Amino acid sequence: MRKLFALTIFVMLSASQLMAQSRTLTGKVTDAKDGTPLASASVLSQDGKYGTKTDANGAFTISIPASVKALVISTVGFTNQTLNIGSSSSYSILLKREDVALTEVVVTSLGITKEKRAINYSTQTLKSAEIADRGEVNVVNALQGKIAGVSITGASGSAGASTNINIRGITSFTGNNQPLFVIDGVPISNDVDRTNGGPLGTLGDNQPANRAMDIDINNIETINVMKGPAASVLYGSRAASGAIIITTKKGGKAGGGAQVILNSAYSAQTVTGLPELQNKYGQGVNGTFNPISTSSWGPAFGSTPSVANGLLIGGVAQAYNPYPNNIRDFYQTGTILDNSLTINGGDAKQNYTFSLSNLNQTGILPNTGVNRTSVKFGANTVLRDKIRLGGSMTVTNTLQDGILGGNGNSSLGILSGIARNIDLTSYRVNGTYKNPDGSNNWLIPNQDNPYFDAYEDPLKSNLYRFIGNINVGYDITSWLTVAYRLGADIYTDRRKQIFAVTSARVPGGQVVENTISRSEINGDLTLTAKKDHFLFDKLNFSALLGQNLNQRLFQNVYLQGDNLAFPGFYNISNATVLTNGSGEATTKQRLIGYYAQASFNYDNYLFVELTGRADRSSTLPEINNTYFYPSVTTGFVFTDAFKINSNILSYGKLRASYAKVGRDAGPYLLANTYASWGFGNNVANFNFPLGTTAGFGVSSRIAPVTLSPEFTSSIEFGINLGFFKNRVTVDAAYYDADSKDQIINVAIPSSTGYSTKTTNVGEMTNKGVELLLNVAIIKNRNFSWDVSANYTKNVNKVVSIAPGVDNFGIPGSAFIGSIPSIKVGYPYGVIIGGVIPKSPVNGQRLINPATGVFQPSVAGQVLSDPNADYKIGLTNNFKYKNYSLGFTFDFTKGGQILSFTAATYKSRGIWAPTAEDRDKPRILPGEILDATGKYIPNNIQIPAQTYWQTLGGLQSEFNVYDATVFRMRELSFGYDISQELVRKLKIGGLRFSIFARNLFYVAPNAFFDPEVNTQGAGNIRGLELQSAPNARTIGANLKLTF
Amino acid sequence: MKKLLIIVLALSVFTTSCKKYLDVNNSPNNPLAVPPSTILPTATIAMAFANSNDLNRVTSAISQHIAGVANQTAAYDVYLLDGSFDNQWNSEIYVGAINNLQILINQYGTTSPAYSGIAKLEMAYTFSMATDLWGDVPYSQAGQGLKFEQPRFDKVADIYQGNASLGITSLFDLVKSGLADLDKPSLLKPGKDDLIYKGDLTKWKRMGNSLLLKFAIHISNVAPDLAKTIFTQVTTGNNYINSNTLDFEVPFGVSTGNQNPIYSFNYVNRNGDQQMSARLLTLSRSLNDTVRLSKFFTKPNGIFTGYDNGSTAVPLTISARSQYNTYLVGVSGEAPIRLLTNFQSYFNIAEGSLLFGLGTPAAQAAYQAGITASMLKVGMLQSEIDNYFATNPSVVTLSGTMEDMRKQIITQKYIAWIGNGIEAFNDFRRTGYPVLALALNAQGDDPNTIPTRLVYTPGELSRNPNAPSPRPKTNVKLWWAK
Repeated sequence: MRKLFALTIFVMLSASQLMAQSRTLTGKVTDAKDGTPLASASVLSQDGKYGTKTDANGAFTISIPASVKALVISTVGFTNQTLNIGSSSSYSILLKREDVALTEVVVTSLGITKEKRAINYSTQTLKSAEIADRGEVNVVNALQGKIAGVSITGASGSAGASTNINIRGITSFTGNNQPLFVIDGVPISNDVDRTNGGPLGTLGDNQPANRAMDIDINNIETINVMKGPAASVLYGSRAASGAIIITTKKGGKAGGGAQVILNSAYSAQTVTGLPELQNKYGQGVNGTFNPISTSSWGPAFGSTPSVANGLLIGGVAQAYNPYPNNIRDFYQTGTILDNSLTINGGDAKQNYTFSLSNLNQTGILPNTGVNRTSVKFGANTVLRDKIRLGGSMTVTNTLQDGILGGNGNSSLGILSGIARNIDLTSYRVNGTYKNPDGSNNWLIPNQDNPYFDAYEDPLKSNLYRFIGNINVGYDITSWLTVAYRLGADIYTDRRKQIFAVTSARVPGGQVVENTISRSEINGDLTLTAKKDHFLFDKLNFSALLGQNLNQRLFQNVYLQGDNLAFPGFYNISNATVLTNGSGEATTKQRLIGYYAQASFNYDNYLFVELTGRADRSSTLPEINNTYFYPSVTTGFVFTDAFKINSNILSYGKLRASYAKVGRDAGPYLLANTYASWGFGNNVANFNFPLGTTAGFGVSSRIAPVTLSPEFTSSIEFGINLGFFKNRVTVDAAYYDADSKDQIINVAIPSSTGYSTKTTNVGEMTNKGVELLLNVAIIKNRNFSWDVSANYTKNVNKVVSIAPGVDNFGIPGSAFIGSIPSIKVGYPYGVIIGGVIPKSPVNGQRLINPATGVFQPSVAGQVLSDPNADYKIGLTNNFKYKNYSLGFTFDFTKGGQILSFTAATYKSRGIWAPTAEDRDKPRILPGEILDATGKYIPNNIQIPAQTYWQTLGGLQSEFNVYDATVFRMRELSFGYDISQELVRKLKIGGLRFSIFARNLFYVAPNAFFDPEVNTQGAGNIRGLELQSAPNARTIGANLKLTF
Repeated sequence: MKKLLIIVLALSVFTTSCKKYLDVNNSPNNPLAVPPSTILPTATIAMAFANSNDLNRVTSAISQHIAGVANQTAAYDVYLLDGSFDNQWNSEIYVGAINNLQILINQYGTTSPAYSGIAKLEMAYTFSMATDLWGDVPYSQAGQGLKFEQPRFDKVADIYQGNASLGITSLFDLVKSGLADLDKPSLLKPGKDDLIYKGDLTKWKRMGNSLLLKFAIHISNVAPDLAKTIFTQVTTGNNYINSNTLDFEVPFGVSTGNQNPIYSFNYVNRNGDQQMSARLLTLSRSLNDTVRLSKFFTKPNGIFTGYDNGSTAVPLTISARSQYNTYLVGVSGEAPIRLLTNFQSYFNIAEGSLLFGLGTPAAQAAYQAGITASMLKVGMLQSEIDNYFATNPSVVTLSGTMEDMRKQIITQKYIAWIGNGIEAFNDFRRTGYPVLALALNAQGDDPNTIPTRLVYTPGELSRNPNAPSPRPKTNVKLWWAK
């Protein structure tokens, strides 16, 4: 087909050349700045049919038919120029230098657009082409590997699972550390709403989405990542962790007409990162077959059945064969079908946009998926040349079907230890995972068949979301503008979680109806003044005054029905106990902010910007509820100031900023309250009321005497350099941020009667370096090669917590023995657990001389640190004629993960190495204290089973792995049909592309893919609690414009 | 310009209404105050839950009532205790029970002393549980919120005997103060919110006296004079729990979330983790006491099956294991958690009679009354009891040296307390009875010694600089221990 296209084009070209009546033009192309002749500049007829190049003196001669009315002259590093051909046959053309990327306009806080050179802090922009058509469902994942200073880790490959994003590290001990998401000037929720995953709590849930997943990536025009407090100070406390400014596609570019874009993508997903399994030994312990064992320490496959090895029962030989793919086959091939229609129309003044999209994903886990449909309409108009009116609204429906994960009786928890001889697939194929009466069918007592759990214990979410904004602007005078923007983000997520009767986690059955609603209304009134040549010549000045009103509402209605009267009917009316955890939580918080900004620009090389914001918050005591915070930023383009005119150094800017951002408290922290009480955890629990007797108790959190806002202050230095006519650009930043007086529910000794107290304490610092390097290695008419590389290093340190408090657990942790913690002197989020004591001499682990296994571990020590040393991202983009190829690699060095799955693979004897020399005894590495008081190397032999079970302790240091990983993040290969054919087909364009995500990874120090995190978006990192592994996506995209 | 003025004006009008706009910080989710009738059940369940949940499992394993087969209980069984008990120390004892009791005392001590009286008795019980398990614990400064942000760890001796110079009220005085409150006129009186005695304060007085009796015997090794004084006061006062119907026991329910923790653990969530100890089975058989044993533990297919403490042997399938029976778990988890009982009073009187010279006959009478009370309590028929007494005279008759007799009493008490490991663990450490052998494959702080205390919790150790550091090892005996 492509050959046919090429042939057609060739024939057409030749024919037209033969037929044309030609004339000859001459000309000279020079640099507009200094008159240097430009060699090898391209001179092309506007229709692209005729072309030549300038010689060493910048001169050219071209023969063209009379029908050609214009020539386009272009060369690397200069702005293209269109030459309208008049009667003359000789022309001189002056080309202006272009500042690649440096004349870019960037959308900053409050939708204010700024020239990139006038921005004195670190931001980075991605365009639609860099994120769309790559098979990604969640916009946060689409940023992976591309932004300096940002750390992004997905929960897993489960459909709709949330993704954590932290910009420049974590700044708040217990608050939300995700950046603020803003769409078209409206702050929106990126919260993760969790529905209790049964007795295990949130770490056993279905990995719900972070709500930025409701955004249709196809409809994004640009994403600007505002990194430090200086960047986001106008958004106030909400953006203390940075901001992601998303601008969606708008009408008005079609020059009055309408542009229709149809986009369709299909991709397939498969599971990746599963460890290698052994297929030599089956179910049992100590070499004896046991059909109800959860381990594979049984006899070797092929053993002669005997009573001793358990394979001969009542004279009958038991079926005993390996099923090598019984775990892998649990995962299915997922699919994503993503279709969208966009219509953009109008001109710069009156325009509209409409889009309709649907994304339908079937997950790699059975009975999971995401189905997202959204409709958007937006329009802008200018009335009487003075009043600008605009707005847009998007309605989205997102369905997410999930299954529970987590240690214990979730399908994934069970799956991670399935014995090698269990024919798991047959349960699905034959539908025998449940008995005819609907109950769980599984040989192992107190455990679910993984398929039973997946199909009978689902969690379904059905969310409707409205995001809208209205803008009105009025030019009072030529230099003064007033504007108002009202935005709303409102959603309701109705969820239903079911535990079938006989489920191991909730044998009596359970139905949960959970309705989660959030709404945020945000209004900004701004007054903007602009004056060039202010006070004196060359000084341009602009000022902004604004007021912000913000209200956030949250409601979580949770109705839990236990002890279903009969199986198979999942309505709350079938429950006989409704009191466990049922209740409602509502919060409302409001904020009024006032802000002002003054920007000075001297001769377009010296920039100074002063910003201040004062907030009044409903959540702080009245005496402290007004707080002010400023920022100062400066930028100095020294290449312009000193008139450096070098072919090597084309652009140089130094920048420095100081910013402070205040953050208010959460709602309702100021008073002591009472609550209906409950005790216990997943092994035994109690909830009031007891029959008809209510039980309330005072909250375990004690209210503060007083409370003031918390502040993060940050200093940033940066440099932008452009070399070789800006074909090489460097953007480097160093920052040092200090977060103090954090508002936290700090742990206090429970002997006070309270577990936590709300107070201002603690200090945490983040220091880091970001580098962004863009190189246009090759750039000519037919071929270009661009490279973008980024480097991120952040060092976090908890300086202090509260007097007498050395550490406390990050809220949400579920397992005693491996607690993600905040610990003085360590980076945020280290996991505290038990560590085996070491010999004082050689530092070897101590072995119990009686048993040959390790001495018991000592609790309360740092087990692992999830913080990576650094991250590198590398993107290559090639363009050859109509073909384009882009791929992104990323590399994460360091950081640790505690993997329950790794532990299970060892202790249950299913990991491949556990089968090696299983019949031979082993010796654990370590030292024993001998009778003479000397430490000698351990020489006590233990069976392989004991050896691996020792190393497979669920929370042991042996299951902490270095998470260093190199990954081919994404690959995209596209073909745009030629302009010729476009015209012929009377369409606007047709692009076909194929893409892949997570094509492969190399994790040198882990036998599984370490880039997972069971909690997903949140402050708990580096814990894998038997949740889903990652997925690989491969697909194709077709984009038709007309 | 006029328009600008209007905007500024509108803005300033708005600003004045700011205060109202921002006044939305009162929680609709949680009340700021609740009646005492809703707090008392919480504190009561907290006390019972603490007694019967994880602390019961660890002490039942160490005392060899049960053996750990898997998971946490198996670790406890070989004395791996480090890193545990945060939930018990935190949410069950200090936050759940002590703090809510403190609120009842502080808020209702003047107006409604019926509530503060009961609260003091429950508080004394709960604190004794904590100090008996851990030794020095926060006591006089505990549960006071921000008044003492790092509560002092009071010495065991000071907790039991008081220490005026440190401002420590003894447990005895705390109980007496509670008993005194019960006699005062009270505006509000508990009714059905008193889960145990339904508002019958006379029964609470009996509970208070039985508690004094328990404390007296508990410190008899180290403070015999004080013990004797209290013992005499209680026995002559004759107002203690002297009938099974007066037992201090906390009821639970049959529905999910209301069941007692023994049931919830063993029959709902972790039914594969623990089993009857093979050593207990041996003991019971040696005493021909298996009828009573069958009330405590199931007999699958008519056979008792025990698991040795610390064993790594392949366990039987769950359905074949002897597990807690209905006396302890009810039919659906509704069995009460028994904290202070009639049989306990009798055994205490029996032991006190020996210790304080009241003579063997008095001890003998109380001893037999204790055995009978226990057997009736677990549901043995009178005929079965009579038969046992008739066929096992050497068991039911105290004989030999005083120490021999004490051993007999504590052994009977040990059996009677199956299901409440804390009491068995207390008596074992205090008297050395019954003689227990080390668990197989013992590990922990000292693999050669049965633990004599629990280890402090990671939470308290990391948050309270007053916590003993380094924490005492599990082989360091408590003040009152033998």
